[in-house]
Amino acid sequence: MTDIAIAAQGLGRRFGRRGRRALDRCEFVLPAGRVCALVGPNGAGKSTLLSLAAGLLRPSEGRVTVLGTTPAGARERLAYVAQDKPLHPHLTVAATLRLGRELNPGRWDESVARRIVTDADLDMDAKIRTLSGGQRTQVALALALAKRPELLLLDEPMADLDPLARHRITGLLMADAAEHGTTIVMSSHVVAELEGSCDHLLLLGAGRVRLAGPLDDLLAAHRLVTGPAQDSLDPHTVVESRTTGRQLTALIRPAGPVPASWQTAEPTLEELVLGHLRGPDAPALSLTESEEAAA
Amino acid sequence: MTALSLRASAAEPRTRGPRGLVWVMLRVHQSALLFWLMLVTVAAGGLLWAYGPGADAAWAEYSEAGCGTTTSGFDCDMYGTAFQRYDNIVGVSSGLLTLVPLLTAAWAASALIGRELENGTARLAWTQSVSPARWLAAKLAVPAALLTAGMLTLTLLHRLMWSAGTELHEAWAVRAWDDSAIFLTNGTTATAHALLGLAVGALVGLLLPRALPALAVASVTTLAIAGALVELRPHLWPTVTVTSTDDVPAPAAVVRDGALTSDGSRIPLPDCLGEPGCLTKHDITGYYADYHPTSHFWPLHLVETGIVLAAASVAVGAAFWLLRRRTGGAV
Amino acid sequence: MTAIPVTSVRTPGRLPRPRGLLWAVLRLHRAALVVWGLALLAAASFLFRLAALADEAERGDSACAEPATDGLPSCTAVDAITADETYSTGIAFVTACTAWLIVPVAAWAGGALIGRELENGTAHLAWTQSVTPARWLAAKLAVPAALLTLGTTGLVLLNVWARGADNPNLVGDWYHPDVFVGTGPTAVAHALAGLALGALAGMLLGRALPAAGAALGAALLLYNALDRYREFLWPTVTRDTTGWEAPRSAFQVAADGSELAFHPRSHFWPIQYVESGILLTVAALAVLAAFRILRRRTA
Repeated sequence: MTDIAIAAQGLGRRFGRRGRRALDRCEFVLPAGRVCALVGPNGAGKSTLLSLAAGLLRPSEGRVTVLGTTPAGARERLAYVAQDKPLHPHLTVAATLRLGRELNPGRWDESVARRIVTDADLDMDAKIRTLSGGQRTQVALALALAKRPELLLLDEPMADLDPLARHRITGLLMADAAEHGTTIVMSSHVVAELEGSCDHLLLLGAGRVRLAGPLDDLLAAHRLVTGPAQDSLDPHTVVESRTTGRQLTALIRPAGPVPASWQTAEPTLEELVLGHLRGPDAPALSLTESEEAAA
Repeated sequence: MTALSLRASAAEPRTRGPRGLVWVMLRVHQSALLFWLMLVTVAAGGLLWAYGPGADAAWAEYSEAGCGTTTSGFDCDMYGTAFQRYDNIVGVSSGLLTLVPLLTAAWAASALIGRELENGTARLAWTQSVSPARWLAAKLAVPAALLTAGMLTLTLLHRLMWSAGTELHEAWAVRAWDDSAIFLTNGTTATAHALLGLAVGALVGLLLPRALPALAVASVTTLAIAGALVELRPHLWPTVTVTSTDDVPAPAAVVRDGALTSDGSRIPLPDCLGEPGCLTKHDITGYYADYHPTSHFWPLHLVETGIVLAAASVAVGAAFWLLRRRTGGAV
Repeated sequence: MTAIPVTSVRTPGRLPRPRGLLWAVLRLHRAALVVWGLALLAAASFLFRLAALADEAERGDSACAEPATDGLPSCTAVDAITADETYSTGIAFVTACTAWLIVPVAAWAGGALIGRELENGTAHLAWTQSVTPARWLAAKLAVPAALLTLGTTGLVLLNVWARGADNPNLVGDWYHPDVFVGTGPTAVAHALAGLALGALAGMLLGRALPAAGAALGAALLLYNALDRYREFLWPTVTRDTTGWEAPRSAFQVAADGSELAFHPRSHFWPIQYVESGILLTVAALAVLAAFRILRRRTA
C-alpha cells in the first residue's frame, strides 16, 4: 500500500474544444486510509473528478496519480460506482455477482457480496431491471466492495437509499476502512451524514478546489461569527457574510484574535459547506496533515 | 489479516466451463448467442436437406417428366413442385448466409458496443479490473470466433449442396456459379464479409455511442460496402480474352466486351442501329469478350477475402485508436 | 375584494391542442423525418433522370438480327446501347427499395418510435404532461402513417410514370415480387403494416433493441408469406394449351397436363386490392392489440 491515495497536479478537464472547463487546475493530495467527503454545488465537477481518478477519462491538462501510478495502472486496486449505477438490466442479481467474480480473478470476496445482497433482502434470481433504484444501488455497491479495493470512489452512493440502508452501508464502509485501511472518496449532498463518518474534506466549486484537507483542521480554521452590522471584518478572511437588520453573520478564517463583542463558534460541516456554497469567491484553503499552508 | 482478505474467500464455488471475460461475453449476449445457434442450425438443416432428399426429389421429377430428352412435354417449360421446393430452400439458405454481415453489423453497433457505452455498463466493466482495450478485444474476439466457426461450417455445407446439384442447376439454368449470392457462399468470402460486418459495427458503435443511431448507420454502411464489392468483384483478377468474327462472344461472367479494328485495337461497340455499312465505316473486323472461366473461382475469392479482411483490420485498428483517445489509458 | 382576474389559464380537464402533440412527435423524431425527406428527394430525382433515358433504353432493347437485315438493326449495334442496362438497373433498384420499405419502417417503429420511449421512461414523461396514453400512442401512429402514406404514394406514382411503356424486358414482369408491390397501392399498405407491426412489437417487448429485431423478423415473414401465396389471392383462369402458347404477361400458377392455370395481366388490380386489404387488416389488428396492451400497462 502506498501513502498517498490520490494526488492531483494542475488537473483540468474540458469537454469539447471550446467547451467549459469541468475542472480547472485542481491540486490536492489525499493520504491513504482516509474517508474523504467530496462536496460541492451541482456542476462543480465532482463526477468528473471521480471519473478522472478512476481512469475513465483522460485529463485535458495536468495529471492525477492514483495509488502511486496512473489510474489505468491502478485499475485492479480501485473500485468506482458511477452516479447512475450502471448494471446490465437483463442479468439476474446472481449473474451480476458472478460477473464481478469473473472480471476480478483473485481479488473477489464472495462473502462480502452475498452479505450486502442478503441484508438488502434481494432475490438472487430477480432481473436487475425489476429492482428499484435503491436496490440497484446496493447491488452496485456489492460489486464495488467485494472487489477488495484499496481505493473506493463513490459518486452519490446514498442518493436513493432508505435511512436504514444508508445507515447499514455507511457502517459497512466504515468497517472496511477501519479493518483494511481502504481509502474512501464519497461525493454526497447529504452533508450532515458525512460529518460523522468522514475525516477528510474536498470541496469543489466551479471546477476548482476550494477546501482540501483534514476535516478537523479545516473546521478549526474557520469561525462562525455574529456581531453588529457596522463592524468591519478586516483583517480576517471572509468566506461569506450576511446582514439581517442590525446584525452581521459571517463565516471567516480568523487571522488573529476576534473582537470580544462578537459571538463565535466553530462551524459544523454543514455550515462550513453552506458558507462556501454561498460565497464562491472566497480564496481556497488547502491544509495537509499536521501542517498549515496558506492558499 | 489483510493477506487473508485479499485472497478470494474459501466459500467461492469451483466453476467449470468458460471463465473470465469469455464467460461475461457469453452471458451478457446470451440472446444473440442463441439466435446465432438457431440461424446456423436452420441454414445447415436447409442445406443438408437440399443436398440430399431435396435434390433427389427434384431430379426424380425431372427424369419422370422426360425433360431434356425427345419426349419432353409442356411440363418441362415450368418448374415442377419438387424443384420449386428445392430451389426455395436453396434460396432461403443462401439468403440467410448473405444476410449475416448485415445482421452482425446492426447487432455489433447497437447491442454489443453502442448500448453499453450509452447506458454506462462499459464503465462498469472498466472499473471491474478490465482495461478498455481488453474489453474491446473480448467484445470482438468472442463473436468473431463464433461467426467464423458458424460461417465456415455453412460454407462447407453450401459447397456440398452445390457440387451435388450441378446437373440439376444446369438443367434448369436457375442459378449460375457467378450469381452474387452463390459465389459469395461457396467460398471464404462469406466468412470474411461477416467479420467485416462485425468490425464496421463495432467502429460505428464507438463513433456514435448510442444504440439506435449506430444500428441505422452500421446497416446502411454495410449495405453500401456490399454493393460496392459486388461492382468491384469482376475486376479483382485478370480476365481471359476470347475473340470471334461473327458476333460478340457471350460466355458466362463477362466483364467487358466490344469490337476489334483491323489493326487489333479495341473500341467500344458503336451505336450502329439502323445504319447498314456502319460496321465497315468503323473498321470493325471482329469482337472480343473478357470473362472469367470457372477456374478463376478461387483466385477471385482469395483476392476479395484479402481485401475484406484488410478492411476489417483497418476498422478494428481505428476502433482501438478511438477507444484509447476517449478513455484515460487503453492498456 | 376584487374578483380574481381570469387569465388565460386552461380549464383543467381540457387536453392540449393537437398541434402540441403533432409538434412533439415531429420534433422527437426529427432525424427520421429528415432521412425520409432526403430519401424521397433522392428517389424522385433519380426517377426523373431515368425517365429521360426511357426512349433510348427502348432502342437498346429492340429486336435485332445478325447481320442486319432490312427492318431489323444489327445485334451488335443494339448491344452497344448501354442505356437500357442503366435504365433497368435503376428502375429495379428504386422498385426494390419501395417494396422493401416495410422492413426498415418496422424496425424503426419498434425501436425508436415506441420501444426506446418505454425503455428509458420518456413515455411516462409524456403521460404526466397532460397527454393520455391513448392519445400519445394515437399521435405516435398517426403522424408517421400520414407521412408514410403521402411519401410512398408519391413514390409509387413516380415509379409508374418513369416506367413508361412497361416493357417487361426493361422493368420486369408485373408479377415479379418487387415489381408487383412497388407499382401499386400495396406498397403503401406494406409500409403501414410495417409501422403497425413495429408499434405492436414495441408495446409487447418494451425495450428498443429486442422490439426492433422482432419487428424486423415479423416484417420479413409477412413480406415473404405474401410473396409465396400471392397467386392464391384471386381465382386463376384455366385454359387448354393445345395450339396456344401462354404469353409472357401470364403469371403461371400451375400446369396439369395440357391445362394451364394462370393470372392474366387483367388480374393485377384485383390482386392488389385483396393484398392491400389483407395488409390493412393486419395493420388494424396490430394497432388494436397495441392499444389493448397499452391499456393493460397503464390502467
